Amino acid sequence: MMTTVALAAMLAGVWLAASDRESVSRAMLLPDRVMTLFPDPKPLTAFALTDHQNRVFDLASLKDKWSFLFFGFTHCPDVCPTTLALLARARDNIAKSTVGAEDVQFVLISVDPNRDTVGKLGQYVTYFHATFLGVTGNDAQIGNLAGQLGAAYQVAFTPGMENYPVYHAATVFLVDPQARYHAMFTPPLDAETISRRFKVLRELERAKAT
Amino acid sequence: MRWRNPVLVGLILALALSAAASEGPGISARDAWVRESPPGVAMMAGYMALRNNTSRTQVLVAANSSDFETVMIHRTIVKDGMAGMEHAPQIELTPNARLIFAPGGYHLMLMNPKRTLRAGDRVDINLEFRGGLVLPVALEVRK
Repeated sequence: MMTTVALAAMLAGVWLAASDRESVSRAMLLPDRVMTLFPDPKPLTAFALTDHQNRVFDLASLKDKWSFLFFGFTHCPDVCPTTLALLARARDNIAKSTVGAEDVQFVLISVDPNRDTVGKLGQYVTYFHATFLGVTGNDAQIGNLAGQLGAAYQVAFTPGMENYPVYHAATVFLVDPQARYHAMFTPPLDAETISRRFKVLRELERAKAT
Repeated sequence: MRWRNPVLVGLILALALSAAASEGPGISARDAWVRESPPGVAMMAGYMALRNNTSRTQVLVAANSSDFETVMIHRTIVKDGMAGMEHAPQIELTPNARLIFAPGGYHLMLMNPKRTLRAGDRVDINLEFRGGLVLPVALEVRK
């Protein structure tokens, strides 16, 4: 396989470099600057949050699905809408691919529960994609899951200040159907790379299973 | 002097022509757009590519718009693994320099739109430069 790819790369030369630098088999083997694949996925432990339809969102909600998790907040003009819009495109790409999106979920975890009520979150996430979930909880509950994923965030809440600053990881976390932290995508993100990498990952997992 | 010096005449002509070619502040804006916001969200971000076509450094100091209550020049920064925004009080553009406002970097932070803005709409924003130069920019709302 590697020989074939190496040969193809030599033959295609510049074209390959320009159009698709990440050949499929290299993506399987090498973590790169967009997707980091953990060789030994870390099992997550119990946490309790609430989704935008007031349902419990906990460890069981991550089982039997691939979950793309992003920490953000709705009063975020740049990073959050940019990321959610590209995740919506990535989801559409995945849905159209042979992999399909039936067992894939996309979740925005708001780190700003003070402003992001359940109702507001629902309106917000479903604007980007009807299937997206908005999830939040109290500081301890959010901190629990964020801590397990290494998602840094800081809410500089100031009473009386409408637009207090919020800092949060711009990373997209991928949790596998066994609720293990499996991979992460780090900026600069783009929809095509995410969907393509995810497809490769699924094929790799399928090959492992058989 | 009676126009006896052809070099001087040429220089004056050249200056007059260049002034005519770079109207106003001589700074151009391209690909200007605003990301449509989800319902209930009163914050938007504007993006564009600026270029300083003048022969001197221009300093962007502020922006305003009749379409928004507040417009600020912000930059997304990543520090300690976290993305956040900081106010950019002034940005220098040296002659011929480009300044790109793009997702994840510099952006115009647009707060409290005065009307509902949907994809396809147009908003007008004035960029204010030190010395009083103002560049009006039309931005298209895009999804």
